[in-house]
Amino acid sequence: MNSTLTPPTLSRRKFLVSTSAVAGGLSLQILSPEVMAVMSKAASSNASNELSPWLTILPDDSVIVTVPTPEIGNGASTQQAMNIAEELECVWEKVKVEFASFSREYKSPGSYAVGLQPFFGGHSTDHDRMPYTLQLGASARERLKMAASQRWHVPVAEISARDSVLTHTPSGRRLRFGEVAEQAASVKLESEPALKPQSEWRLLGKTQPRKKQLPEVVKGSAVYGMDLTLPGMMYAAVLQCPVHGGVVKSYDPDAVLSMPGVKAVVLIDPTKTVGSPVQADPTFGFEGSELHSGVAVIAEHYWQAKKALDALPIEWDLGLGQFWDSEQKIHERQDRVLDRWAGAPLTKAGDVSAVKAAKTVEATYRTPFCEHAAMEPLNGTAIYTEDGLELWHPTQDMQQAFWVAVDECGLTPEKVTFHQTMVGGGFGRRVIGDDVRTVVAVARQYPGVPVKVIWSREETTRQGSYRTPIAARYKAGLDEQGKLISLQGESCFSGMELSLGFTDMAYAASGAIPNVNLATSKLPMHIATGAYRAPCYNAHAFTVETFIDECAIAAGADPFEYRVDLLKTWDPAWSNCLKLAAEKAGWGKPLPKGQGLGIAISNWPHSGSKQKGSTVCAVAHVEVTPQGELTIHRIDFTFDCGRIVNKDAVLAQLQGGIIFGLNMALNDGLTISNGAVTEGNFDSLPLLKMADIPEINIHFEALSGHDRFSIIGEAPVGPIGPAIGNAIYQAIGKRIRSTPFRKQDLSWS
Amino acid sequence: MTTIKFTVNGKPQVLELDPETPLLWALRDHLNMTGTKFGCGAGLCGACTVHFNGAAVRSCQVPVQAVAGADITTIEGLSESGDHVLQKLWVELNVPQCGYCQSGMLMAVADLLKRIPNPSDEEIDTQLSNICRCGTYPRIRAAIHRAAQGDKA
Repeated sequence: MNSTLTPPTLSRRKFLVSTSAVAGGLSLQILSPEVMAVMSKAASSNASNELSPWLTILPDDSVIVTVPTPEIGNGASTQQAMNIAEELECVWEKVKVEFASFSREYKSPGSYAVGLQPFFGGHSTDHDRMPYTLQLGASARERLKMAASQRWHVPVAEISARDSVLTHTPSGRRLRFGEVAEQAASVKLESEPALKPQSEWRLLGKTQPRKKQLPEVVKGSAVYGMDLTLPGMMYAAVLQCPVHGGVVKSYDPDAVLSMPGVKAVVLIDPTKTVGSPVQADPTFGFEGSELHSGVAVIAEHYWQAKKALDALPIEWDLGLGQFWDSEQKIHERQDRVLDRWAGAPLTKAGDVSAVKAAKTVEATYRTPFCEHAAMEPLNGTAIYTEDGLELWHPTQDMQQAFWVAVDECGLTPEKVTFHQTMVGGGFGRRVIGDDVRTVVAVARQYPGVPVKVIWSREETTRQGSYRTPIAARYKAGLDEQGKLISLQGESCFSGMELSLGFTDMAYAASGAIPNVNLATSKLPMHIATGAYRAPCYNAHAFTVETFIDECAIAAGADPFEYRVDLLKTWDPAWSNCLKLAAEKAGWGKPLPKGQGLGIAISNWPHSGSKQKGSTVCAVAHVEVTPQGELTIHRIDFTFDCGRIVNKDAVLAQLQGGIIFGLNMALNDGLTISNGAVTEGNFDSLPLLKMADIPEINIHFEALSGHDRFSIIGEAPVGPIGPAIGNAIYQAIGKRIRSTPFRKQDLSWS
Repeated sequence: MTTIKFTVNGKPQVLELDPETPLLWALRDHLNMTGTKFGCGAGLCGACTVHFNGAAVRSCQVPVQAVAGADITTIEGLSESGDHVLQKLWVELNVPQCGYCQSGMLMAVADLLKRIPNPSDEEIDTQLSNICRCGTYPRIRAAIHRAAQGDKA
C-alpha cells in the first residue's frame, strides 16, 4: 500500500459540525447544511434542535461514540469507533459505543442518516459513512487543541494531540482531553480540519481491535432483545398459520384462560393493521413485513404462556398455499417456466440463436428455501398506550423497524420511541420487520403493560422470511477448441429477486463470450422470502460456477485454467485469486479415487465491474466414500476487497462467511409439504457443529491494495458450495446440481 | 405452584413456581438472570448451558424441581468479574461474533476442560456439540488449546 491512494474525504460543502457542552464535556454532531438549515428554523418552536451527538468526550476522558448501525456480530459499530479514534488521537480503551435511536433521526432528519443504507449494519467502511466518522474525530481533536491553546495562550500549531493528551511541544505542558472538553465546546474554528493522509494512519490498517461489546458478551451481561427486562413485564408466546397466507379459522381462549399465569389470548390479525398516519419511509418498503395470521397467549412468565399456547384449541384455514404439496410440485413448475425460455432478457450480446456450436452443454440447477436460524429466536418487547408506543428490538435496520411499528399501530411517529438492542444473529432475517409488526400487534392488545413476545425455535423456523428458491437453466455453445461461443441462461425466482452475480456475471461482462442472453423469470409462491446473507448471489454463485465447471469438462480443459483463460481480459484480481488459491491448495496434485479438488470464484456485489466489490475464490478438497459419505478436508480461500482497515475483523467475517457457505451447501434446505415448512428445531434443521468444520486457510496475498474498502461479510458465502460440488465431480465423477448436498445421493462404485 | 430452594452462583434462592418450569426460564424470567440464553428449548443447541453441581447441563431440559438443593453456576457466576481464563481468551482472540451462543459455549468449554484438561482436536469435536451460527468454531478451538496450555490470556 502507498500514499498515492486517495484518502476518504468529505467535500467542504457537504457537512457542518455543531458542538455543545454536555455533562461537563464536549459533544459533536455532523450534519449536512440542508439539515442544519431545517433545524435552525425549527429551533425556536420546539425541541428538534436538540443535539444528536455522534461523539461525546467526558471530563474523565471517556469517549462515547453513538452509532446508527446495529451490531449483528460483524463489528460495524466498533469500526465506526475506530474511524473516529484514528483522527481524534484518543486512547482506544477509553472509547465506548452506544446505539443511536431512530426516533431521534425522525425528529431531526439527517441527524444520523448517512450513506446508501443508513441504518443497515454492514457498511461501516463505505464511501459515504467513513469520511463522516473520520471528520468527526478530526473536528473534535482540533477543537480540543484550540481550547488548550486558549488555556495556555500559545499558538495552536505548537500543540499536538496523542493518546488522549494535548501537549504543548516547546514547554512540555500537558492537558488531558477531558480537562478541556467543556471549553472545546465553545471553540469556533475558521474551517474544519482536513483529514490525515492514509500514510499517517496509525489505527486503521495497522491495528486489529476486538469488538467493543465483547467484555459484556462473555460475562452474559450484554442485552439482546431476548434479555430486555422491564418492571411488570408480561410474556407472550406466538403461533402463526403453518401455511403462510393461511388464517385462523377458530380458537378457544376459554380453554386456557384459567391456566396459571395466563392473562389474555389475542388474535394476530393482518386486517387490523392500522396504517401509518403520515407518509412512511421504511428503508425497504412494507412488502414482506405483513402480519402472519395467528394467536398469542400473554402470561406472567414465558413458560406459562407457552404451555397455554400448546394447549390452545385452534383451527386454521390453510389457504391456497396447500397447492404446493411437495418438492416435486415445485420442481415441475420451475421446469415448466424454464422450458419456455421466455424470461425477461437482462443481459444480451451477439445472437445466441445464430450460433452453430460444435458442442452444446445444458443443465438445470436448484437451490431451495433456507432458514436463517439466527441463534436468538425472533422476539421483541413493546409497551403500548394511547399516548405512545415504546419498543426494544433486535433489528438489523432501525429505520425499517421504526416505520413498520408506526404502520402497525397507526400512532403518529412522534409517539413512537425505538430502542436498539444487541442482535443475536441477523443474516438478513431481521431486516424487513415482520417480527416488529407482530410484536406491536400483540402489545397493542394488552395496553399499558410491557409485553415481551417470543417465537419458539419451531415458530422461528416456520415463520421465516427465507432465502429465495432459484432454479437456473443454462445452455452453452462450444467451438471445436472447446471455447465458449454462446451462453444462454435463465434464473427462475420464487420470491425476492436479485440478479447480482447472474446477469452481471464476469464471464459475460468481460466480453469473453461473444453471444450471451441472460434472463430472469418468476414462479410465484405463497412462502415469505427476504434477504439472506448476500441475497440470491449466494445461489447464482452456485449455478454459474457449477455450470462453468461443466463447460470446462466438456471442453476437455482443466477447470482452473479454463477460468483463468475466460477471465484473462478482466480485472486481474480475479486471476490472481484463482492462481493463489490453486497454488496454495496444491492444484493438480494426484489424489486417490474418492478425493478431489474443486474451484469456484465470484464477487459481491459487483461481479460485472472491475475493481469493485469483493472478489472471492475457494478451492475445496473433499473425499467421498463409496457409500456416499462426504468429508470436506480443507478449504483454501483467497480474496480481493481492495484495502482492509481491521485485518482480524476481516478474517472473522471470512471465517464466518465460509462456514455459512459450507452450511448452505451441505445442510441448508427446507422441505415444503402441503404448503408448510416441515422442519422445526435443530434435529430436523441441522447446522454445522465443531466436528464438521474443515481446515480453513484464508490467504491475504491476493489483496490488490486498490483504493476501496469493500464490504466483506457476504461475498465469501458464494464460492464454497460450487467449489465443493466441483470437487465432488473430480472425486467420483458425479455432477451435483442441487443443494443441500446432504439430500443428494453421492454413492459410487 | 411449589417452593423450590437452590443456590445460584453461591447465592441461595427460593422460588414459588410450577415445578415443571425449565431451569432456563426459572433463571431468566424469575431471577432476571438473562446471561443464560434461550436458543432452541429442546436441548439441541447448548445456548442455555449451566453447571448443575459442577457439571454442564442444558438448562432448557432440566425441570426446576430437579435442582432443589443443588448448586447452579451460570455465566454470571463463571468468575467474579469476567476474568475467568476462558472469558479473557474469548476477548483476546475476538471469538464472539453476534455473541448470543457464547454464554453457553463458555460454560460447556469450562466443563470440558475440567473433565479433559488438555483435549485433542478429536476430543473437542466429540465433546463440544453447542451450535454457533456465526461460525466462530475455529477461534473457539484455538482458545481451548490456549487455555489447555496454561495460557492466562
